[in-house]
Amino acid sequence: MRRVLSVVAVAGIILGLAATSWAAEGTLEKIGRTGVFTVGTRTASPPFGYINKQNEWVGFSVDLARLVHKGIEKKLGKAIKFELKESTPATRIPLLSSGAVDLIAGTMTDTRPRRDSVDFSLTFFVTGAQFLVKEGSPIRGIQDITGKRVASQQGSTNERALRERGVQAQLVVFPDQAAAFTALVQGRVDTYTNDGIQLWGLKYKAPNPNEWKVVGDFYTYEPYGMAMRKNDSDFRAVVNNALMEAIEDGEYFKIYEKWFGPKSDTPYPLTDSSKSFLMMQVVPK
Amino acid sequence: MPLAGFLGMQYDFQWSVLWTGGHGEWLIQGIWTTIQLSVLGWILAGLLGILAGALRTVPFAPLRALAVFYVEFFRNVPLLVWLFFWYFGVPQMLPRAAQDWLNNHGPEFWSAVVGLSVYHGARMSEVIRAGIQSIPKTLLEASVATGLSVAQAYRLIILPIALRLIVPPATNESLNLLKNSSLALTIGVAELTFMSRQIETYTAKAFEALTAGTLIYLAMCVGISAIMGQVERHFRIPGLIVRAGRAEH
Repeated sequence: MRRVLSVVAVAGIILGLAATSWAAEGTLEKIGRTGVFTVGTRTASPPFGYINKQNEWVGFSVDLARLVHKGIEKKLGKAIKFELKESTPATRIPLLSSGAVDLIAGTMTDTRPRRDSVDFSLTFFVTGAQFLVKEGSPIRGIQDITGKRVASQQGSTNERALRERGVQAQLVVFPDQAAAFTALVQGRVDTYTNDGIQLWGLKYKAPNPNEWKVVGDFYTYEPYGMAMRKNDSDFRAVVNNALMEAIEDGEYFKIYEKWFGPKSDTPYPLTDSSKSFLMMQVVPK
Repeated sequence: MPLAGFLGMQYDFQWSVLWTGGHGEWLIQGIWTTIQLSVLGWILAGLLGILAGALRTVPFAPLRALAVFYVEFFRNVPLLVWLFFWYFGVPQMLPRAAQDWLNNHGPEFWSAVVGLSVYHGARMSEVIRAGIQSIPKTLLEASVATGLSVAQAYRLIILPIALRLIVPPATNESLNLLKNSSLALTIGVAELTFMSRQIETYTAKAFEALTAGTLIYLAMCVGISAIMGQVERHFRIPGLIVRAGRAEH
């Protein structure tokens, strides 16, 4: 009995010590202390975060995260290592809360329920949910999927939206995009639903892009933001300042041109309304 | 929650997420799917295991070779790889009509059942083989000497004894099968682990959701072990080393 009590006492002291140091630290302090800025992003969501043919981890969101990294180095006044970690819709919030990553920069939609668990940066991209089908499929949009087999990713807003609308389709939910797309390629499912721009990315990265088409009006509104831990205004200010500066001095549009311009793999012109929206997020210096 | 505050944790426990918003129904559906996967897998694995285990020990080389091939081929590849193989690989080789039929009849579930049974059948067969091989050869000779064929001797004498001898390792393998059913979530089967993660992605309450999954698996496995303990006691063969430290007379 005494041995048990002493073990419990030691465990309590250790937890207490750990907890006091843990509770106090913000993300900037943590980055300053460890010297590493870890970003969670996708590995199979072109062109936001993916492994390219040269086996490099690249993407639009990755490039934006690098801008944030520069902002952090400027703020802390020292060199910080930049690391990427894989995150999927199902794992990104737990990765943030556990401290394994400091920022999620991928394809995460900013929604009100999610704001209960994490904080979001400015919106850096706007899209909506659509469907990816094989050329020749009769599906033209959300009205045609009744009774069909629809693949989606666990934890995504699309899966939730379809469920909430009570759509009478057979939802087959996969842990990640790669499995869901393979199921579509093999005809295991009739269509795959995800944010429109990600479907365009998959289409253009496929061996034969003409085999695929992205159909349907946007059935949800998906503003992408970068996610970080809650109640960390200093870090959030650094992230937002980095994004605002990039939009202001044109760096953002250069990166946009690289990934979505006419010469890129996924041409997706920036609409005037999206451009105004982005520029109006930049508050005066 | 006071305890959380005392330990310095910044987490807001909300156990009600487990039953509000339809999440209770999800967990129950998940439990039911896990049970279905495990029971079907267990029955098929048991049949395959008995067949392969017995074939490993018969005095007829081609059958032995077949059994060895089955066991080595299927148990030496990770189950996750097998699940992808049965779901993404095998249907591709079927004719288009068969594929279409399969696609409309729950391919995810059936691929998972087949994957689990074949893999665990290979593992079970080793356990059963160990049981058979611990029986003295004299028993087989005596059975054959009374006029039974080898197949009859196996069916009526050897296997009943072997199955009673291997209740503990067989229980172990059965529990492994139950726990491995969680891998089916990678091919889209909505079983218990998938449902726990679903609750977690909808509510961001990871601790509560995953604790629910943990406790349910724990309860199922401890329940099965307890039942199998009773089975073991009921079917034990007198005269063998059953329990140390307790005289029988």
